[in-house]
Amino acid sequence: MSDNKTSEMRFLPIIGLCMLFPFLRMFGGEMANGAPFTALESAFLIPLIPIVIFPVIAILGQVNHGDEAWRERFKEGGMIALCSLAITLSLTIWLAIEFFTNGASFEEPLRQSVFNWINFDTITQDAAGNWIHLQNDSLGVGLWIDNVSMMLLFVASFLCFLICWFSIGYMNTDPINKDRNHRFYAEFVLFTAGMLGMVLADSFLWLFIFWEIMGLCSYLLIGFYYERPSAAYAAKKAFLTTRVGDIFLLIGLLMMYDIYGSLEFAVIFDDPSLHGAVDTGMLRCALIMLFIGAVGKSAQFPLHVWLPDAMEGPTPVSALIHAATMVNAGLYLVARFVPFFDVTSHGHGVEGLGDVAILIAWVGGITAFMAAIIAFVQNDIKKVLAYSTMSQLAYIFTGLGVALWFYNHGEHHAAVIAFGASMFHLFNHAMAKGMLFMASGSVIHEMHHAHHDAHHDDHGDEFDAQDMRNMGGLASKLPITSTAMAIGSASIIGIPLIGGFWSKEGIVAETWNAAALHGGTWLLVPAFLILLTAGMTGFYMTRMWMMTFAGKPKTEYAENVHEQTPWIPTPLITLSIISLLGGFVLAVLGATHWLGEAEALGTAIHEHGMVVAILDAIVHAFLPTEMFLFLITWVAITISLVVGPAMAMRIHGGRLNSGETAPRLISWILPLSSKFGRANVDDLANSGLADALHRRLYFDELYEWVIAKTVIPLAHALSWFDKNVVDGAIKGIEFGTQKISRDVRNLTTGSASDYIMVAVIGTFSILVLLWGVI
Amino acid sequence: MIPAMYLASLGAILFCIGLMGVFTNKNGIIVLMCIEIMLNAVNLNFVAGALHYGDVTGWVFAAIAIAIAAAEVAVGLAIFLSLYSSRESIVLDEVMLLRH
Repeated sequence: MSDNKTSEMRFLPIIGLCMLFPFLRMFGGEMANGAPFTALESAFLIPLIPIVIFPVIAILGQVNHGDEAWRERFKEGGMIALCSLAITLSLTIWLAIEFFTNGASFEEPLRQSVFNWINFDTITQDAAGNWIHLQNDSLGVGLWIDNVSMMLLFVASFLCFLICWFSIGYMNTDPINKDRNHRFYAEFVLFTAGMLGMVLADSFLWLFIFWEIMGLCSYLLIGFYYERPSAAYAAKKAFLTTRVGDIFLLIGLLMMYDIYGSLEFAVIFDDPSLHGAVDTGMLRCALIMLFIGAVGKSAQFPLHVWLPDAMEGPTPVSALIHAATMVNAGLYLVARFVPFFDVTSHGHGVEGLGDVAILIAWVGGITAFMAAIIAFVQNDIKKVLAYSTMSQLAYIFTGLGVALWFYNHGEHHAAVIAFGASMFHLFNHAMAKGMLFMASGSVIHEMHHAHHDAHHDDHGDEFDAQDMRNMGGLASKLPITSTAMAIGSASIIGIPLIGGFWSKEGIVAETWNAAALHGGTWLLVPAFLILLTAGMTGFYMTRMWMMTFAGKPKTEYAENVHEQTPWIPTPLITLSIISLLGGFVLAVLGATHWLGEAEALGTAIHEHGMVVAILDAIVHAFLPTEMFLFLITWVAITISLVVGPAMAMRIHGGRLNSGETAPRLISWILPLSSKFGRANVDDLANSGLADALHRRLYFDELYEWVIAKTVIPLAHALSWFDKNVVDGAIKGIEFGTQKISRDVRNLTTGSASDYIMVAVIGTFSILVLLWGVI
Repeated sequence: MIPAMYLASLGAILFCIGLMGVFTNKNGIIVLMCIEIMLNAVNLNFVAGALHYGDVTGWVFAAIAIAIAAAEVAVGLAIFLSLYSSRESIVLDEVMLLRH
């Protein structure tokens, strides 16, 4: 193992060198045209490098299949992927620095046109039916970098880099992946390209193209273990479910093009109301179509069924695609709706779109509650996290819905706070959830190893390394993982001062603000649901942690777990620090205002000094001036901090075996958890509700039933039509031709006199014909 | 002088006799002989034409046809000889190799 440890160190200089790529680029600019390239001029390389690396890894992996040096030195392509992602990350950071120094903002994004892709003419038919030429048009490729895309760009490239780092530890040490990891890394970098490209795209068209690349990679990576029927099924399910959303998205884009004559952000966002001439009903339809696309991608009700099954993929894939990045694509798309809704003095939005905003908030509220309640009974550690992801994404959808509602009612300040809080929650959630998935991967990996060491043959029994009922008491054996998981859970729950607290409080408060204080009666239901979900989050995240790490080991394998795989702890520690402190630091810096209205980061510190800024952030979070919001805030804090976790501890908590010590940062939790006594929940666990939750509230059954009643009979009918009518016509032609040729063939008797007879008859006929003609 | 009309009629009759012979006979040698009759009927027609028009070309054609007919008979007899040596029979109905 120490060999492997040094190997991680040995690769560090190479990764460090890759991080210096921006300087090479600047130098290259100096050589080429006398002035160094700027970060913006280099930004197109951010998605381009992974796209180029994708075939390189795939081909090299096939060429060097089974080669020892390829396996050890290149980690089956993992090192190439990691280096390219390091370059991508360095370019992103360079871009971020330039972004901040230039003070670019939401209203005035950095823009860079890369090249014109397709030029075409637009023509139309006038009333008399003549074709008239309208304009020359082009589909260009360009970059659009504002606050939101900058933030997502950083989240995506940073997490891709760290999760690729983690993958080298996770994938390459598992014998089941031997000699096929290059496929994983190739698809991994292609996915990265898709995500980064989508975030940078300056038109809905390119957003859609990269969106689909991500969908493809998601499909391929969920089905990475294609020899397992369940994985193949899950991949198919994920692909088809998101496809339903994508069809709507495509229809929405076509409607957009119909309305605005372009899909470029610059054209559409310039004046979404077309000087008040826009057809509101049409625009509403288009936005709802786009929203359905986002619902499919972000696994919201009612297209949520694919996400839990997507956990069949390798854990790094779950961490990257199904928790931290791809599922945020839908949120990003909805965040791009703001100019349509903004009827305040800052924008040219369209009045009367409030019902779309309410729809978005409702979908969010329902999903948040539903996913949280299903997460109560899941025993698979990754499934708990999957439902948690759905629930937290739903928070962000609710927040965005509220923000759009505020924008559409001219409440600029509240809208900015709600929007900023939502995007801020996206950041916190991505960091925490990416890390939680990696930590769960670490647990699964070590459980698997322990089981493997005990038996030496994996195929002997039905041991499930992901089932939390097989774990317990791992806090002392996996100190880094358990600490990381505790911090991540705290961030997701929204424990005050940690990570997600800052953003989640903002979303809950603003939703209630809209619902109760600004007359948004329709928003009351989502507001109530997400308040309730705050407490439920506390319950299921604590339950997961307690079942995994607290109490006595429940199987012999859990007693023999050791934290020993290299490459795994580094990303966990990095993200733990970010989850723990990032929320606080960014809240003090004013990330909410930065994301929502492009106030420069750190304005408050600059103007009032550090202490005042910190106090300001805390006062804003804990002591809202409005009495009603004060109440809501403290209800949310109480149920998420006390009620939910205490109930979970009562059921699943417990001390470790005597003589074992947990890491210092979390050691106080375990004695605390045993103080709540024990509740016996067997009755509840065997009730009909628990059964319904285990069956995921019967959504899969419902969809299967609907499909069995509609699509399948239609498919049978079409199949009959195809077999009998379409094939029948083809077969008829074939049969007829054969019959004729068989009959004609009988004329060839082989007897010479017959041939002469035919020749004579033929000649005679020709003569008769000629007679007639002449 | 015999009118060309009679010669042409004789040629036509001879041709029909030859044709009937080809159709009805099974023996290869007789079929060959019938073909000779048809060739000579054609020659007779050439000669009749030459007589009618006072043109020497018809005579030349007849002479060439006779020469070619001689060659053709030689080839035909050779075919029947080899047929006989392989099958011991020259009955044409038994030679059906061209059948489908």
